[in-house]
Amino acid sequence: MTNQAQAIAALIESARGQRPQSLDNREAEETLNIALALLVELSVANDKIDRLERVVAEMRGEDVATLRDIRYDGEVAEQRQDATDALLMRALRVLIDPRAPAND
Amino acid sequence: MKVRDVQHAVLPRTTAEEGCRQNAVVSLRRLLNSKVRPRNVGIFESEAAPAFAERHGRQPQSHEEVREAFLMSPGYRMWSAANRSAQEMIWVSVGEPTYRDLERMEQATKELIEADDKLGSLSLDSSYHPSPEVADVDIHLQPGGYAMNRSDYDVVSGALYECGGNVFSFGQGIGRGDSKAGVIMRLLNEEFDGFKPAKMLDIGCSAGAASAAYPAEWPDVEIHAVDLGAGMLRYAHARAESLGVAVNFHQMDASDMRFEDESFDLVVSHNLMHEIGEEKRRAMIRESFRLVRPGGVVIHQDVAIRNQPTLVHEIERDWDTHFNGEVHWNTYATANLQADMIAAGFPEDNVVEHDLSALHGMANNRWYAISGRKPL
Repeated sequence: MTNQAQAIAALIESARGQRPQSLDNREAEETLNIALALLVELSVANDKIDRLERVVAEMRGEDVATLRDIRYDGEVAEQRQDATDALLMRALRVLIDPRAPAND
Repeated sequence: MKVRDVQHAVLPRTTAEEGCRQNAVVSLRRLLNSKVRPRNVGIFESEAAPAFAERHGRQPQSHEEVREAFLMSPGYRMWSAANRSAQEMIWVSVGEPTYRDLERMEQATKELIEADDKLGSLSLDSSYHPSPEVADVDIHLQPGGYAMNRSDYDVVSGALYECGGNVFSFGQGIGRGDSKAGVIMRLLNEEFDGFKPAKMLDIGCSAGAASAAYPAEWPDVEIHAVDLGAGMLRYAHARAESLGVAVNFHQMDASDMRFEDESFDLVVSHNLMHEIGEEKRRAMIRESFRLVRPGGVVIHQDVAIRNQPTLVHEIERDWDTHFNGEVHWNTYATANLQADMIAAGFPEDNVVEHDLSALHGMANNRWYAISGRKPL
C-alpha cells in the first residue's frame, strides 16, 4: 500500500532533465514555488471547510448562509482576534525580526 | 463520445481532496492564462524592449534578441516562473492519486488485457527502442515521459497523460465537451462530403482518447492506433476495453510503421507534430501518404500556435520550448507543413491548412489541421 507521501515522492523522483529558472535569483524562484503550492493547499483547505459548513448547516436544519453569518462578540471575538494576530506573527515573523541581515 | 473527464476502470480513483487540488491547479492556470499571460506582449514594449535598448543601445531584432529582451522584463520573468510552477503542480496533483491507486489500476489493467472476450488488441514490440528524441524528454514536464514502462502491467505514463491532460486543458479554458477527434469528424463532414472510413489509423495515439472516440461514433470502423510507449499503449488498450470500444493498438515508430501500403481509408494524427523533430515529422507524413489508399484522406491535427502575427508573439509563444520540455514546439510552429505534405506525394492543389474552432470551451480555443487526399 502506497501512502500519500510515498506517492508524491515516487512522482517527484521520476522527473528527468534540468529545471530552467526564470527569476534572477534561485532562492526567490523556489520561494515562489512554495508560496504557489501553499496557495493551492489553502484552496483545498477552504473547500474542506466549505463542505463541513454545508454538512453542519444541514444537520442544524438551516441555510448555509445563515450558518456562515454567525458572528461573535465579547470574549469569543477577542479569542478569534488573538488567533488571527498569532497567525500573522507566525507567518510574517521574518519581517519583524530585529536582527540585521548578516551579509550587510 | 466524450473524451475528457471520462470514467473508466484504469483511471486513478481520486479522493475528494485530490479532486479539489486538481481543481485548484486548474483555477491557478486559468488565471495565469486569462489574466497574466495576455499582458506579456504589452510588457515586451513597456519593459523588455527598453531594458534591451538600455543595455545594447538598439532595439532587439532577431529571435535570440527578442527572447533575451523578454527575460530582462520582471513582469515576464514572474509570469514564466509562476507558469512553470503551475505546470509542475499539474503533475503533482495527478501523480499522487496515480501512484497511490496504482496497485488497483494495474490489477484492473491485467484483467482487461487478458480477458477472453476482448474487443480490440494490443501488440507490443519488445525489440523496439522508443525514439530518444521523444522517450528521453519529459515532454510538457510529464515525469518519466511518454515511454516510461516500469513493469509488465505498468500504466503510469498513460494515467499521467490522460489526467494531466485534463487538468492542463481545463486550465487553458478548453471545455469538457471538446474533442480533437470530434473536430476532425466535423471537418470530414463539412469539407469532405461526410467521408466515413471503413479502416483508419491514428498515429501517435498516446493514452488513446481520440482512438476510442472514432469507433464510438463509427461502430463499424476498424481502427488501428500507434504509439512508442508500452506503458502508454497498455493504458490506452485497457481504457478502450473498459469503455467498450474496439481499438487495435501497436507499438511502432511513427516514422516507420509495419503496415502494408494503402491499407487505410483515413489516417489521422492528433497533437503529434509538435512532439517530434523535423526529420521524423517528414518521415511520419511520408508514411501517412504511403499508408492511405488512393482516394483516402490524411489529416494531421495539432495545437494552433502557428502563424503568429509578429516575431514578438512568436517568441512569447515559444516559452514552451525553453521552460516546458516541448523541445520541438517552435520547430512545429514555424515549419512549412504544406511543403512537407507535397514532398510526401500529395498534390499541391489538395493540401489544405485548417483553422478549426473547438467543439466546446472558450471562444478563442482553436485547433490547427493540415489535410491531403491521395489521388485516385
